[in-house]
Amino acid sequence: MFTYLFFLYCAVMIVGTGLLAITMRNPVHAVLMVLVLFFHMAGLYLILGAEFLAAVQIIVYAGAILVLYLFVLFLVSLRDEVKMDRFVTSAWLGRIISVGLAVSLISMLPTFVLGQKGHWPMAAVIKATHTKALGMEMYTSYILPFEIAGLILLIAVIGGLVLAKHDTPTTIEKS
Amino acid sequence: MHVLILFIEILILFAIIMLHVAYATYFERKIIGHMQVRMGPMRVGWHGLLQPIADGIKSFFKEDVVPEQADVVTFRAAPIICLTAMLTSLAVLPFAKGWVLADINIGLLFIFAMSSLSSYGVILAGWASNSKYTFLGGLRSMAQVISYEVAMGLSLVGVMMLSGTLNLTKIVEAQGGSFGGMYIFPQIIAFFVFFIAMLAETNRVPFDLPEAETELVSGYATEYSGMRYAIFFMAEYIGMMVMSSIGTICFLGGWNGPFEVTIFPPFWFVVKVYAFMFVFIWIRATLPRYRYDQLMSIGWKVLIPLALGNIVLTGFIKAFTG
Amino acid sequence: MQIQYKPKRNLLQTILHSEIMQGMAFTLKQLFAKPITRQYPQEKPDIKLGFRGQHALVRDQETGTSKCVACMRCVTVCPSRCIHIRFHEDEERGCRVVDSYDIEALRCVYCGFCEEVCPVNALVLTEIFEYAAYDRESIFFDQERLLANWDAFAEMKGSAINSYINPFWRPRGIPERELTAAKRLDVPDEWTIEGQVVGNLVKRDQ
Repeated sequence: MFTYLFFLYCAVMIVGTGLLAITMRNPVHAVLMVLVLFFHMAGLYLILGAEFLAAVQIIVYAGAILVLYLFVLFLVSLRDEVKMDRFVTSAWLGRIISVGLAVSLISMLPTFVLGQKGHWPMAAVIKATHTKALGMEMYTSYILPFEIAGLILLIAVIGGLVLAKHDTPTTIEKS
Repeated sequence: MHVLILFIEILILFAIIMLHVAYATYFERKIIGHMQVRMGPMRVGWHGLLQPIADGIKSFFKEDVVPEQADVVTFRAAPIICLTAMLTSLAVLPFAKGWVLADINIGLLFIFAMSSLSSYGVILAGWASNSKYTFLGGLRSMAQVISYEVAMGLSLVGVMMLSGTLNLTKIVEAQGGSFGGMYIFPQIIAFFVFFIAMLAETNRVPFDLPEAETELVSGYATEYSGMRYAIFFMAEYIGMMVMSSIGTICFLGGWNGPFEVTIFPPFWFVVKVYAFMFVFIWIRATLPRYRYDQLMSIGWKVLIPLALGNIVLTGFIKAFTG
Repeated sequence: MQIQYKPKRNLLQTILHSEIMQGMAFTLKQLFAKPITRQYPQEKPDIKLGFRGQHALVRDQETGTSKCVACMRCVTVCPSRCIHIRFHEDEERGCRVVDSYDIEALRCVYCGFCEEVCPVNALVLTEIFEYAAYDRESIFFDQERLLANWDAFAEMKGSAINSYINPFWRPRGIPERELTAAKRLDVPDEWTIEGQVVGNLVKRDQ
């Protein structure tokens, strides 16, 4: 009963803050709404018994990524620098596309069925603690996908470095 | 009934922590005073013992000024975010065997999450005040917290590897009952990194750039007054205590000591935390502030590589010795 | 020219942070040192000889008024020009009579020149230093107030006031014969430490 109520609360908050995040005029307020949203996502993870994921959700998303977003928002003068052309020129076309997207997403919901239980039923996860279970799976069965994901991230980091690093003007060096 | 007992426990812990915060400010002023060959507070009560209470009453009854151009809601919420995040992390700290409010399996991660959240209070305070000094303080705090959170997390990975758990109670138990079994000896590099990152995370000297008085008036707290200003300070001191507790639990063996004190089980824990607090204050009395680029280069070029090296080293030793 | 700000360190010193440790050891040592500060209102500072505090005109025991002869030397020497004297000539007795003697203490720089030049030792900067006030009038001293200041000082000193000699009344470095009669004071032994009160010229004369 308590779990059910908690889920309802989290779900309502997630939808509500999600809506607020895209409708609020002030971008910093929007980011704060996303912060609240992330919190309730962590709450959902807790209901599922995935405490490690919940903690990582807050540390990584709320603690690091959103802070970086805020950093960018603070340093960019929003009124002057961010001016984008409309991607879809007609308002009605946009509405139709978004409604269609929503309908197609919702129509997919009934096809969602619970998967197989696998090696880790709920009792086993709780016994070994969630962190350990996650680590065992990730570093044994799924080591290759994990490494590939790591490599992709590494490429992204190097790409970021290349983009951010300006060529030092040679004229200054020897003058 | 269980909930009621828990509630009473929370209240007791809250009262004790608030008392500690008040007297931490007193001892900070006293110790720094004596280190500078002064006396520190002497007026209120015997040797100024009632000074923190007088300070509390004063700041409670002062006017709460909100700047005209400030973002009012965020401005009012920022100190509360700070304090709440810090107080919440107290819930998972084990003060002695069984003396813990919530014995959860991800205790260490929970504390990280809360300490990164408390930086939101500082950042938002800086932004919402709509003043250049506070904004610079907020920006500095942001960059500093992101950089040093990484170093601190990595430094504690060695401890996690040795103990094989994230539960703070089990980390203490894994270190064994003997006094020499503390993780500070096998994890001396990690302790070094942790200690410096701890100073930076709590915005203490020599890394107090977010509130650098000489440059930024009072940094992110410049526009605050009265009780809200005091709340920032409470959060800072609770943060110091939480970080000291983490250091005690992860590196100094928590409540284990050379002999057992049966009347007061957390005796050794408390002694170690007080020692940490003294070192915090001692460092503040001694060292000057780092420059901002120095702060960043220490964080990224020294501490993070050191912590990563420590992880690799610990992994190798654990793999070969079993 | 190269200015070396920090001494060379070897690797071991860098790892152990020897300089930071030195600093930490120093502050720890200071923690147990005796504080040099004083709890002021309860503990008064010990006032040294030659302290220059509140202004006063010495009350003459015989006449009951100031010793001032209106020679105007103090007015002339005062660097901040805070002394104002009005006088008239008494034709019968052939001397000057002081009408008013004012000191603007807020402008005074407490150099002590006035008491040094006074030929009759009429003026003194006393050892009283707690005379802050909420208005300017209270720190503007006319003759009455200056005499009252002396009375307050005499009360503070008690019986010692009878033998009180301000070091500035007996300027250093000037031979005895060049001083006025009033300034040829017997100087206590502890003042005649080398160079303190009695200067080189006096030594040469002797």
